[in-house]
Amino acid sequence: MGELQAKGFWYSEWAFPLFVACLSSGIFAGTHLYYVYHVGAFNDIAIVAMLEAGIKGGGYGAAAAFGASFLFARILEGPLVGILDIGGSLQTGIGIGVPALMLGAGFTAPLTSFPLALATGALLGLIIGTVIIMIRKYTINASNSTFGADVMMGAGNAAGRYLGPLIVISAIMASIPVGLGATAGAAIFYYYNKPIAGGAIIGAMILGAIFPIPTQ
Amino acid sequence: MVTLMIVLKSIVIGALVGFGVGAGAARMFHAPNVQGMGAFRTFGELNACAGDPISHFSFGLGFLFNSWASVVGAGALTQDVDHRVIPNWAAAVLLWRNKNVAETLHNPKQMAIAGAAVGVVVVTLLNSTATAIPESMQLVATKVLVPAANWLINPIMPIVFWMAAMDAGKRTGIWGTVLGGLSHLVMGNAVPGIVLGILIGKGLEDSGWNKITKSMFIAVILLFVFSGFFRGFDVALLKSMYVEIPQWLIELHETFGSVVKK
Repeated sequence: MGELQAKGFWYSEWAFPLFVACLSSGIFAGTHLYYVYHVGAFNDIAIVAMLEAGIKGGGYGAAAAFGASFLFARILEGPLVGILDIGGSLQTGIGIGVPALMLGAGFTAPLTSFPLALATGALLGLIIGTVIIMIRKYTINASNSTFGADVMMGAGNAAGRYLGPLIVISAIMASIPVGLGATAGAAIFYYYNKPIAGGAIIGAMILGAIFPIPTQ
Repeated sequence: MVTLMIVLKSIVIGALVGFGVGAGAARMFHAPNVQGMGAFRTFGELNACAGDPISHFSFGLGFLFNSWASVVGAGALTQDVDHRVIPNWAAAVLLWRNKNVAETLHNPKQMAIAGAAVGVVVVTLLNSTATAIPESMQLVATKVLVPAANWLINPIMPIVFWMAAMDAGKRTGIWGTVLGGLSHLVMGNAVPGIVLGILIGKGLEDSGWNKITKSMFIAVILLFVFSGFFRGFDVALLKSMYVEIPQWLIELHETFGSVVKK
């Protein structure tokens, strides 16, 4: 059913590099915001800290090597599995690795100028998107095998089901009221045939607002 | 003045990021026929919310508080913005009016437009109001949602993917097991390795050792070698085997900017 509809611009191969370009442009500009105003980098604290170490004068080696290796790994993996991992490829590779390489080499202009940051990100995204589509052309599309995509999609679906119970368990370990809230929320959502993850979060938040989790 | 600049730039950035994330997330539902963009965990979590707008919204909200806490402390938005908040809120917005996931969550055009709108709001909000979050909400996010999400990524997802690989046949099971174990050693998570194992195992089962499976095999080897090197796995391996690290290897690491600790 879904495959019959999978036609037109929004589903086409060549639209993919454009989507990657948009996202990369925004992510690279986010790093520009961080470089100039110290806010807005699209990554986790630990990874942004590597870039910060470079900005503070500690050398860009760690951020560059870490970002570049993630980018390389995800570009290889992306076309083969049909899903490009944004976190590794674009947020870490384009958002941290490439800026670190540029700053390490003394090019500050792409990070100090907002329009230049947008353009640099877009260009890099366009290149990455095109590379991925090229790899696809010579692997998946040139073969009659689906390379077990059904197995991976099934596992992806199955893994999601674990989230609800995990949130309840985690809430119980956080504090008694929050745990009670999550349990009740999950049970109510289950009764009404809704995914229990949503109910667990709402229950935990309501009780957590009334009885804050103690901080050591 | 500075705040105004941050707001204006955040609007542009949020729209661009949201557009790409939305389109990429919807395309994941059509993979592998269509190249998607997101992550296996994003895909699993979107499926866990099962097209229910309240669940999508509350899941995104939890991680919004987490991002908020992080942006106050470190100026970093966390990867949750692209992986969780924008896709789930875009889904919630669309599903509110139309419960048919084929026309909303699975439609790249709808998701790109909704994603762009959500992106503008979320990124601007996070970057401009970094000091105004209730602390109790931050705590729920960091003490409840973050551990749960971490458990999902490790060990739940590796186990689920591993079992799927083993259930898919001997060949996939062996490749999944070997590459999964190696990947957990080298990359810190077994899922990429198991996914590559399924890919190679199924590819071999369907078409044997041809040009495509051979080049895939070489690409996978290179991937492991390069990520092992850049993450310092070679040095850690030698160290844990009590082997003296040769000077040339230390120098090789130095040329790529990483320092080998003795």
